[in-house]
Amino acid sequence: MSNTISGKNLLRPTGLQCKNLQEYLKSRPPEVLNKLYHNPPICLAVFRELPVIAKHYVMRLLFVEQPVPQAVIASWCSKLHFEEHQKVVLILNELNVWKEASIPGGLPGWILNTTFKKNLKIVLLGGGKPWTMSNQLEIDSKPRDVAFLDSYALERWECVLHYMVGSQQQEGISADAVRILLHAGLMKRDEADGSPVITQAGFQFLLLETALQVWYFILQYLDTIEARGLDLVECLTFLFQLNFSTLGKDYSTEGMSEGLLTFLQHLREFGLVYQRKRKAGRFYPTRLALNIATGQNKPLSRDPEKEGYIVVETNYRVYAYTNSNLQVALLGLFCEMLYRFPNLVVSILTRDSVRQALKSGITAAQIVGYLQQHAHSKMIEAGPPILPPTIVDQIKLWENERNRFIFSEGVLYSQFLSQTDFEVLRDHALSTGVLIWQSERKRTMVVTKAGHDDVKKFWKRYSKGSS
Amino acid sequence: MKQFLLHLDETFALGRKFIIQDLDERHLFISADILDILQSKVDDLMDQISFPLAEKGI
Repeated sequence: MSNTISGKNLLRPTGLQCKNLQEYLKSRPPEVLNKLYHNPPICLAVFRELPVIAKHYVMRLLFVEQPVPQAVIASWCSKLHFEEHQKVVLILNELNVWKEASIPGGLPGWILNTTFKKNLKIVLLGGGKPWTMSNQLEIDSKPRDVAFLDSYALERWECVLHYMVGSQQQEGISADAVRILLHAGLMKRDEADGSPVITQAGFQFLLLETALQVWYFILQYLDTIEARGLDLVECLTFLFQLNFSTLGKDYSTEGMSEGLLTFLQHLREFGLVYQRKRKAGRFYPTRLALNIATGQNKPLSRDPEKEGYIVVETNYRVYAYTNSNLQVALLGLFCEMLYRFPNLVVSILTRDSVRQALKSGITAAQIVGYLQQHAHSKMIEAGPPILPPTIVDQIKLWENERNRFIFSEGVLYSQFLSQTDFEVLRDHALSTGVLIWQSERKRTMVVTKAGHDDVKKFWKRYSKGSS
Repeated sequence: MKQFLLHLDETFALGRKFIIQDLDERHLFISADILDILQSKVDDLMDQISFPLAEKGI
């Protein structure tokens, strides 16, 4: 028999991990979660992101003041969907939304987390303290409309992206933002002169959709938040309040703490909120902030990116109807530029240009995804498929030819004295799932590096026992 | 592709032998520190057997 389990594959680029809200919260310790649940907006955000079944469970339990037997809760869900039920139970446990409690009588039961319950009630039924930004404001003398906010948000965000691709003609971004990019591993300091340069992860980041980019960036920002002396709970609460705010309406900064004001300035820099002046006393949330953590992609309405601009032809030509230097730079990651006209860029996909991109860690799927996502409306009309299949296949083939081998790291065991010795050790490795390859005839086996220690110990114990 | 590796090994193309054991027709056990050089060698091979598909002229 040949290869049973392939070990960890070496030399493959690792994908960019973008957690959603749930995964992010799950990775927080329970104490932090509990602190977060003291804030009604967060409870609502968490509730909104729960799977449908979980929402039902929470709703049914919301006004029950005592633990409910687990069997009763399980009976709310059809037996046919038992797996989903279990998934939901796990999620609710991990999010600390409910906890186990025994019912007098000995049955295991669940009871909703009291803090969560209280604050979810508040947010659904009203009451509680007013939200910090809900103070009354006089009417803004120069109100900003939605269109203005959208273009502002886009401009700010593109600034960050521009900085990453290293185009010079834009104004720079603050040292703080650079620090976040460095921390997130999207850029790293050049060894020669210490200036930040883009990394593998950075390239992948550039090809994500805007909403995902913002969320990823914010997650990384939150990681560094405590080092800045800001309060994570406070900032998260504010972020979720923003999430529930109305686009095109202005909100007051009155009553916000020093820390929050600093946080607001950071958000302002990335285009999540708009403020005319630092001390204006009011701010407008932009669409970027509303998009956060909802999981849905409400596109920026005036986002020219969303009006597709890329035409791909079967002769590998890529035409991009755009003026934006950023979009040209992004295309330049995997295309060879041929001509540039006002309003149009002509480029070509070649083996070399695509391989260049693959070498810098972009995957074929990401390239295809990018082309598809920004395909010109004419292409979409002609589709499906939107992109010529030959091109898609070729890009994938170019990627595959780089991966002709599968490399798995392992340790080789051979020269066993007897067939039984070999079989015992092989069966042990197989049962712990660390066996990569074995041959009975040659009495040779390969185990993964991680499993090596364990197998070695087992072998020592075994040979001692038999002698 | 396995034959290519055996060839590289036999001809000392990478400066030394790197195959530790020939396991079966689909598997080789090689030394880990050669991976990077090996990958670039394979890239070179693919370069030699590829043909530019697209025309660049107008």
